Amino acid sequence: MSSPTPQTQPVRAISAPALAPERPVVWPKRTVRTLANGLQVVLAESRAFPKITAQLYFPGGNAAVALKNPGLAEMTSAVVRTGTASRTSRQIEEDLRRIGAGLGTHAGADSSAISATGLAEFSGELLELIADLARNATFPQEEFERERRQRYEELKIERATPGFLAGERLRRVLFGPHPYAIVAPRLEQVEAYTREQLVDFYKRYYVPADALLIVVGDFSAGAMLEQIEKIFGGWSAPKPEARKSASPPRASGRRVYLVDRPGTVQTQVLTGNLAITRRDPDWYRAVLANSIYGGAFHSRLVMNIREQKGYTYSPRSSLNALREYGYFSVSAAVRNDVAAATLTEIFYEMDRMRSLPVSAEELESARNYLTGVFSLGVATQDGLLGQLSVVYLDRLPEDYLETYRERIHALSADDVLAAARRHFDSANAQIVMVGDRAQIGEQAALFGEVTAFDAQGNVIG
Amino acid sequence: MNSTSKKLRIPVEHTTLANGLRVVASPDRSAPVVTVGVYYQIGFRLEPRGRSGFAHLFEHMMFQGSENAPKMEHIRLINSSGGLLNGTTHYDLTNYFEAVPSNALERVLWLEADRMRALKVDEENLRNQRDVVKEEVRVNVMNQPYGGFPWLDLPPIAFRNWPNAHNFYGDFADLDAATLADVRNFFRTYYAPNNAVLVMVGDLDPAEAFRLAKRYFEDIPMAPPPPRADVSEPAQDSERRGEVPEKLGPLPAIAIGYTMPRRESPDWYAAGIVERVMHGGRAGRVFRKLVLEEQIAVDADGSAELLDTNGPTQMVSRIFHKPEFTSEGTVAVFDEIVEEMQLKGVPSDELEPVKVKFRSDFYSMLEGGMGSYMPRFGLMHYLACFTLFDGDPDRVNTILDGFLEVTPDQAQTFAQKYLVPKNRAVLFRRPVAQPAAAPSMAGGAR
Repeated sequence: MSSPTPQTQPVRAISAPALAPERPVVWPKRTVRTLANGLQVVLAESRAFPKITAQLYFPGGNAAVALKNPGLAEMTSAVVRTGTASRTSRQIEEDLRRIGAGLGTHAGADSSAISATGLAEFSGELLELIADLARNATFPQEEFERERRQRYEELKIERATPGFLAGERLRRVLFGPHPYAIVAPRLEQVEAYTREQLVDFYKRYYVPADALLIVVGDFSAGAMLEQIEKIFGGWSAPKPEARKSASPPRASGRRVYLVDRPGTVQTQVLTGNLAITRRDPDWYRAVLANSIYGGAFHSRLVMNIREQKGYTYSPRSSLNALREYGYFSVSAAVRNDVAAATLTEIFYEMDRMRSLPVSAEELESARNYLTGVFSLGVATQDGLLGQLSVVYLDRLPEDYLETYRERIHALSADDVLAAARRHFDSANAQIVMVGDRAQIGEQAALFGEVTAFDAQGNVIG
Repeated sequence: MNSTSKKLRIPVEHTTLANGLRVVASPDRSAPVVTVGVYYQIGFRLEPRGRSGFAHLFEHMMFQGSENAPKMEHIRLINSSGGLLNGTTHYDLTNYFEAVPSNALERVLWLEADRMRALKVDEENLRNQRDVVKEEVRVNVMNQPYGGFPWLDLPPIAFRNWPNAHNFYGDFADLDAATLADVRNFFRTYYAPNNAVLVMVGDLDPAEAFRLAKRYFEDIPMAPPPPRADVSEPAQDSERRGEVPEKLGPLPAIAIGYTMPRRESPDWYAAGIVERVMHGGRAGRVFRKLVLEEQIAVDADGSAELLDTNGPTQMVSRIFHKPEFTSEGTVAVFDEIVEEMQLKGVPSDELEPVKVKFRSDFYSMLEGGMGSYMPRFGLMHYLACFTLFDGDPDRVNTILDGFLEVTPDQAQTFAQKYLVPKNRAVLFRRPVAQPAAAPSMAGGAR
């Protein structure tokens, strides 16, 4: 800005400086190939640090077997790293360290995965190790028994963790007969796992057909693709048969599910309703509505129950997208005497979103927030891999990343209102409270019929 | 170092403003994103007596409003610029940081300067954040299995000097006792430009970044240097032990902490490498012995905060063991690991892989370090630590050398000198409730 008076003092602006012109966000070029065996390979260069980050996904997770063997995918993933035809458990760990790599094996509801990050100079060895685990795992009996016992003890700790208990109960309530209802096994189900069950799961689901390998890092895509074809190309196995699942129930009216933990000093509140997957055309609108409601620090819920009322430290709302279904949830850990007051505010803010259009300023602010934070993902290998996995795991359009920002910027206050009305189902919200029934039972009853459970999931009245 | 490995060179430029504010910039134009941090050299070690938890409570107050950005405006402006923000309180520093699209750099600097110049908070803000902090303590410590283990439990057992040994999250009575006058006094004493460093990394031009830093920060008045409390520990002459009841978790847990050599002393580098020989996941000696071989523990790992502390700190091993083993017996097996290292050292075919992993982990930390949505957090963090504690942000390019040069002899000498009972503290976290019936999976007791 030009000024007729020369300035001798440093300028102290009393309002925030405007944003400078934006530099365009350029998503790195990707190389996408499907190998003859069905393995889809996605590569993106990210060369600021001499590292690579890789993840191999198989489209079979806990939901694939939850009705018969809850948690079996997770147990299988834990044991998969403990031996192959050519490496002992100890060799696997020492090989990883020698090439400066870290490796994780996990299973979620919809997929099982082997993920790793390491130095670019050893990328070939790292990919060979991933392939070895994916193809040649031997599930040694001793290793299996040790891991099973570890899982058993970990599960006991999970059952003492309020956030876990709340999430487990909400999924039960929302998904009913659908396998997404089951997020963890019971202790006796862990005890009953056999090595043969793991081997069977591995043979059936750790196969290249429909698997996805994403590699991001300091490499040139052409050479990397050649290397991957050499390492993963000779692998073949039959494709697992598709699974048909029962539909989740339709909720009608609010109900309360209280997990009793006598003597605890805080109540974990979690409410939710079924919503949508990322493939639903309404996804963008719902994401925007969620970010205004409770999905960002500067959201209505956080302003209300944290910054005004001081009920809680980290309240948040989320749109949780699984492959077949999605759900909306709101969580807050609050002091016991304000459990009911918290629920009142959660529903008040939902109903406000459902009744009144958001202001132009709030809309603009939320759109900028979403598009800005989305593009932070381009700056790290991990972030990039995460963004790419969303596109390819959920089979979203190829230009999802490139068009996300313009799609969000095109949304209006009416879109937000419509999304809130459809996805923030306050009248039929299912309410989970994890806390001391003696202290919060009466507050819980204000919101609907209460069913109480112990930490093991047994109904106690 | 492997002959094919690239030597990573991070560009680092720095300057000091007239008011003593140190400014560091590291350009990286690969993505249109900048990460900015303001680090103050005050942590929970130096909070006033009778005010445990105050440094952290104060960190919350820094988000409650400043002269030209009232309550919530700071958060609104960062979020609506497409960015994320947070703050954390450590032993020797407190940081405030933002990751934003690079067109918001100037706005971020304006906001950080506004709260460095003039925090503007009232009784209502203090009452509100005191409530929020209490819920933070409840959700992270009091209502969480193994909450505060061992970062809150171990220091009171390990150390004797109050700055190192008190409850860093704060006793509720102390949080209640904090006044607005305390807030103002703390701000005046420690939150001056000459007690801070501003770090900017990512999509920026250093000359332009320095110009903006000067424009927004240079007229903030400096303050007398804050008093430097004595954080030294009296010499320890025997092992220290303590017990804390575990109210929620089912397994006994043990933390074993050895006090580490002084920052940048020759043994300090050996400490960093030996710590990774011991820990560092499933290949580490502690996990291998206790979880894989002896199958006493369900989980065992550890860490040492060497790069981001500037006073007494410990290498801590954390062990969760099966209920059928005694804690005493578990410590005895842990001791075998240490004794073997003292007796036989660390062979180079183990030491060299540990160094490769050390280098790889260092790069990962620089690139991310706090989840993928805070790009270059680790780089920002280390640049700040090396500036505040060592006066040289460019240490980020040389610090690895010291660790990668550690020899088997130095590792063994370190183990003999430091991994000894009279230099350690052992914490037992014992479950108060016994499981009703012995689970059938539990094997024979030892």
